[in-house]
Amino acid sequence: MKNITAKILLVVMVLTTFSSCKKSFLELDPPANLTPEQALKTEADLLVALRGAYAGLRSTAMYGRSLMVIGDMMADNTYQSVLNTNRYTLFNNYSYNLTDGDVSGLWSSAYGIILRTNNIINANVSGATVNQIKGEARTIRALCYFNLVRYFARPFTDNPNGPGVPIVTVYNADLKPGRNTVAEVYNQIHTDLNTAFNLMTTYSNSSQFSKFAARALQARVFLTQNDKTNARTAALDVINNGGFTLITAAGHGAYWANPVIRTDRVETIFEVSADAVANNAFDALSYIYSQAGNYGDMLCADDLYASIEAADVRRALYATGVRGGLPSVFVNKYPNFVGDHSDTKVLRLSEMYLIAAEASLPASEIDARTYVNAITAQRGATAIASTGTSLFNDIMAERRKELAFEGERYMDMQRFKLDINRGTNYPAAARAVPYANFRRVFPIPQTEIDVNPTIKAQQNPGW
Amino acid sequence: MRKCLIAFLCVLLVSFQVSAQNKVIKGRVTDETSNPVPNASVVIKGAKAGAVTDANGNYSISVPGSTTTLVFSSLNFANQEVVIGNKTEINIQLKASISTLQDVVVVGYGTTKKATLTGSVSTVKAAEIENTPFTSVDKALQGKVAGLQSVASSGQPGATQEIVIRGFSSISASNQPLWIVDGIILNTGDISRLQTTANILSTLNPNDIESISVLKDAAATSIYGSRGANGVIIVTTKKGRSGKTRVRLDMEAGKSDIAYENSLYRPLNAQEYLDLSREGLVNLGASPAAIASTLASLGLGNGVDFNWYDAVTRVAGQRLYNISLDGGNDKTSFFISAGNFFQEGTSINSKLKRNSFNVKISNKTTEKLTIGVNMNGGVVSQRAPLAGGAFGNPILSAYFLLPTRTPYNKDGSYNLISSTLGGLHNTIALSDIDRRFLREVSLRGAANAEYKFSDNLKFRSNYGVDYNTAEEDQYNNPIHGDGQATNGRAFSYYTRYFNWTFTNTLDYTKDLTSNGDLSLFVQAGLESQKSAGYFSSLRADQFPPSLTLVYPTSGASPVLSSATISDYTFDSKFINGNLNFQDRFVFSGSFRRDGSSRFSSANRYGNFWSLGATWNLEREKFMEKFTFINQLKLRSSIGVNGNAGIGNYDSPPLYGFGFNYNQNPGSAPTNVGDPNLTWELNKPFDVGIDLSILKSRVNITFDYYVRKSEGLLLNVPLSLTSGFGSARRNIGSMENRGIEFEVNLIPVQTKDLRWEIDFNYAANRNKITSLPDGKDIGNGSYILRVGQARLTYFQRVYAGADPANGDPLWYADPTLTTKTNTYPGAGARVLVGQALPKFFGSFSNTITYKGFSVSAQLYYNFGNLVYDTWSGFYLGSGNGAVYNKVARQLNRWTKPGDITDIPRYVYNGNRNFQSASTFNLAQGDYIRLRDFQVGYDLPKQDLSKLKIGALRVYVRGSNLLTWVKDKRLAFDPEQGVSATTNLNVFIPKTVTFGLNVTL
Repeated sequence: MKNITAKILLVVMVLTTFSSCKKSFLELDPPANLTPEQALKTEADLLVALRGAYAGLRSTAMYGRSLMVIGDMMADNTYQSVLNTNRYTLFNNYSYNLTDGDVSGLWSSAYGIILRTNNIINANVSGATVNQIKGEARTIRALCYFNLVRYFARPFTDNPNGPGVPIVTVYNADLKPGRNTVAEVYNQIHTDLNTAFNLMTTYSNSSQFSKFAARALQARVFLTQNDKTNARTAALDVINNGGFTLITAAGHGAYWANPVIRTDRVETIFEVSADAVANNAFDALSYIYSQAGNYGDMLCADDLYASIEAADVRRALYATGVRGGLPSVFVNKYPNFVGDHSDTKVLRLSEMYLIAAEASLPASEIDARTYVNAITAQRGATAIASTGTSLFNDIMAERRKELAFEGERYMDMQRFKLDINRGTNYPAAARAVPYANFRRVFPIPQTEIDVNPTIKAQQNPGW
Repeated sequence: MRKCLIAFLCVLLVSFQVSAQNKVIKGRVTDETSNPVPNASVVIKGAKAGAVTDANGNYSISVPGSTTTLVFSSLNFANQEVVIGNKTEINIQLKASISTLQDVVVVGYGTTKKATLTGSVSTVKAAEIENTPFTSVDKALQGKVAGLQSVASSGQPGATQEIVIRGFSSISASNQPLWIVDGIILNTGDISRLQTTANILSTLNPNDIESISVLKDAAATSIYGSRGANGVIIVTTKKGRSGKTRVRLDMEAGKSDIAYENSLYRPLNAQEYLDLSREGLVNLGASPAAIASTLASLGLGNGVDFNWYDAVTRVAGQRLYNISLDGGNDKTSFFISAGNFFQEGTSINSKLKRNSFNVKISNKTTEKLTIGVNMNGGVVSQRAPLAGGAFGNPILSAYFLLPTRTPYNKDGSYNLISSTLGGLHNTIALSDIDRRFLREVSLRGAANAEYKFSDNLKFRSNYGVDYNTAEEDQYNNPIHGDGQATNGRAFSYYTRYFNWTFTNTLDYTKDLTSNGDLSLFVQAGLESQKSAGYFSSLRADQFPPSLTLVYPTSGASPVLSSATISDYTFDSKFINGNLNFQDRFVFSGSFRRDGSSRFSSANRYGNFWSLGATWNLEREKFMEKFTFINQLKLRSSIGVNGNAGIGNYDSPPLYGFGFNYNQNPGSAPTNVGDPNLTWELNKPFDVGIDLSILKSRVNITFDYYVRKSEGLLLNVPLSLTSGFGSARRNIGSMENRGIEFEVNLIPVQTKDLRWEIDFNYAANRNKITSLPDGKDIGNGSYILRVGQARLTYFQRVYAGADPANGDPLWYADPTLTTKTNTYPGAGARVLVGQALPKFFGSFSNTITYKGFSVSAQLYYNFGNLVYDTWSGFYLGSGNGAVYNKVARQLNRWTKPGDITDIPRYVYNGNRNFQSASTFNLAQGDYIRLRDFQVGYDLPKQDLSKLKIGALRVYVRGSNLLTWVKDKRLAFDPEQGVSATTNLNVFIPKTVTFGLNVTL
């Protein structure tokens, strides 16, 4: 019996040494992740995190596709071919719903990027480039809030004190914020852009924000607020001090065909880069316009195409043909979906001239014509010579032609509180879309309403 | 050495002679068909030791003169007692046991007699799962065990199968049971990362399985601690029996076709589609010119009427070969098998091939030491087409591609021009040109040793490895399809899991009283497990035009090159035991302490336990007069087990990488994390009764259970403004209450004729009992709401087409009072039913007459709803106008007064009719002839002349008939546990012809 007891003890001892493995047996670190503390420790870490924020802008829900398509489709520039893959149908038909994936995609992607930027802006890290990095992060954050407030709220020009979107600048997973006013959101945007302008010193390339890119964004923000004085000042600051040069008529075609980010400060002030490895593949912006792949769903409205003169080099960005049995105008502004993909232009010098032109009115028609004709001159278009209301309309028409398929057309309709009258390319039931139509403003997505009791009572009217 | 042996034999001989003054009894033990029963035990009543029959069933036992009775017993046979009297030769025929107290049941870390079992355990025997057309054992379990719901969502050979035992225990963590094969904790589920689906269990040949135990309640599962919450399935592979080496051959070949088709969902032909489109264009208000040009673009007048459905579906073939050898002597036994299995899916580009083997060797090295090794494995090659909304999915093309689009050019070559295919893909061409395949290699092997210190103390050690690899390759050609945009692309993914389990147990039995009335069994154990996953993924684009260069090496532009690992570990200590009083009362208890790498060091360990008791009433004096009762067993258990079925690194807050910009590294927050995250707890209670009467010809098992899950590992939705969609937290609770009922009847049992009926029934009610702040959580088509079941549909209620104008109507509010033709807001959604059935089970009959046998098993499933995901496209009253429609669309509203549920057809859609609503739901109630078999065993006497032990021929049908209650059900009623269709490979019905030979 003693023998047995001894044997048992032996076995137990052997086993315990065997199995009561080192503590590390249960300590397994994730192989491809870091904790937030580890990931935001140094200046170099911040730069990596900054790239993550830029990469967020590339998501399909943002500049990767949706912002650019919806911004033209909800207006009158692009429509869905009868032969289509059912993408953005409900925006074409103005029948999108509370649960729409593109709507919630914009909301969640924008706030996802805001989190990435918040963590950079709030990081307690020092170093020579930290200011530049934080400045870029602030500009990205401003861009996100600007898009959120423009899509999810009635325009500033309607009611600055109306409900905007929640402002979140510090990470807290459990926060259930309510909506700030539109004016508060714009103040936040300006705070970020002013700070960014002061922090940034470096111009890297067209795919990263720089001092004057922040200023250029601010020009657009002021214009959206109908603050012409500041819009003009900001735009001229970029034109005069930014060091950017306009693209010429001769270089226009090559400019749009180029998939590579630039360092020459020609035309592009800021663009979201998509390269041969990191791109949205079938969900890329280029893929939904190009007729060379399987999609090519989105076509150019006939009236837009007709408004571009034959000699205008912008006409070369379009081709005519037949799709789904119907004569169609194809968009070649984003031709690259193989290898290095077309980047998404967010801010261009030409827009600054258009902003300067528009913001010069009604004070100085001469200035307005000068600035707008800086563009027409580089496009082979007839110079604008009109005055009064016609001049304003001509500038707006020039804006439409120049910025078509860049997501800004609908934003113009919004800030001017215009009724939209779309051409016969669109479904009959969705051609006249008055400003009062509740679908002119996105709903706070159902997924947000479901979890956030504060915002539940603040849904946009009609939804 | 030789001398030693001789000396040893002499000693043996002497000792034999010493006892030779006793009486020697010889004889032969056979079964009911007069076949020898080897390894049957022959003991003197009241004694422990005895003799064992040899391969021919012969035995010889020396008994003291005082001995009066011998007890004959063998696994799967009823014990039989024989009074010796003057006899010196006793030949005996054992009767197969149906359900006896001496049945041995495989349970966690050992076996137990049925009498001492306090838990709820169902067993499935080899014969029930052999030679079925199912690619993996989990599929074969459907209908075999009460309370075990086994559901397919795809007919793809090798597809994963979902198993839910006694309802869902978790909302966000795993609901899949723990699988143990020969003591090894397996990694199960889907190994594919690139292809559509690949069930790891499909590498295990069901023909190599000897028995399956399904552990369902606390007493049975809590010994698996944190892994036991969803039930445990213990698979024991076949082992050798001593005696003459037996050779068994199984051969089978068959054909399969689609199990369920609904004529309402027949895709339209060209004329029907074009007529409908014309009507839709008129309804849209299109001009005559636009109508003409649009119809022309849709193929009007091109003379093509191609049936894509017929072209992508097929009558599929299948075959199976297995050979096994088993045998051994009194020291060593072995089992060796090899199998080859091939099955095609019911649609193109879908097939699976498996070669498998199983080896099990056991050696009684000394009286005290037994060692064993076993290894089984499989090599699977699989082709699975894309599923869901992918253009490359052949099933999608069956419903979406217009009949006016042709897959072939006039010269017979493939049509590879997208624009002539409506922008969709020619899946017939792609099945031929593109490559999608997966090769899986799995090995499960273990080495074990058992050392008997004494009759009541035994040590067992088992080291097992579960090794799985998957190589996935895909090529998309540069000309047409998914590869066109990138001038061709190819992927190569490699996945490997190396998973080991090291288990050491010490078993101790002790008679606490000298008469053996009260005995104690205690088992203590240590177990460690580590699973190491390794994943490499690469992709290259830009291919040369030749369609034969299909690997990434030929691509000019490498766009993905990634490799990573993912590991988890468990470290456990457990103790487990029971106290048995005369087999009348048995009390059991278990305790396990688990540590897991998945939780932070502060919350890593969890304690799990169970208590169980059983009362075998038939052993009571007062029951003696009820001689018709063979067994009346009451049992009950309570306990706590856990669930750690979450991601390996879900606990810490994390930043991830790969958010790259300009090909420079970028990072972003990827996980909210919760350092307090810990085990999800499951607290089962079970009370059951086992009744066997009338010479065990009526056997009934009934169980009532309540399972409460607490501290759910729930994905709590966050405000999206936080930058995250959800965070995993320990919050919320859920419960399952249910009954299970198993009946086994043998109405007729004569020498030649036997009729056996099996019926099982399980009803489970799942209810969420708490959620964060008591608030609803949206969950796609479903809602999570306190008081409701998980996977309860929450939908707007469709109210049919307006008879006046054909507009779709919905109820505007949840009280269903007013109707509206405007797709209502989210507030109009109501609870409309659930995805899980209210009750399900099976009903089987087996009739055997002499050599003939007929058996049929019906599987039934009642009380759930099935959601048709893609209905809005082929039945959207004009939505997705350029895609084909199904016949049910022809029931559309056409003129005022029409009463129909299909609205007026408007080209490009009628008022959001396609949006989610109850229109897409159908009742999922069905009854299916899961298995039908007619077989004939050739008479032994004829076979013995040919030196053949046994020969059986059979025809088997699986899923031959399917009855559904709802005639609007679009696809097969089996659509996964979430009951949601996804244009998967259709589930097949199969007819096979087979032959089993034993030499």
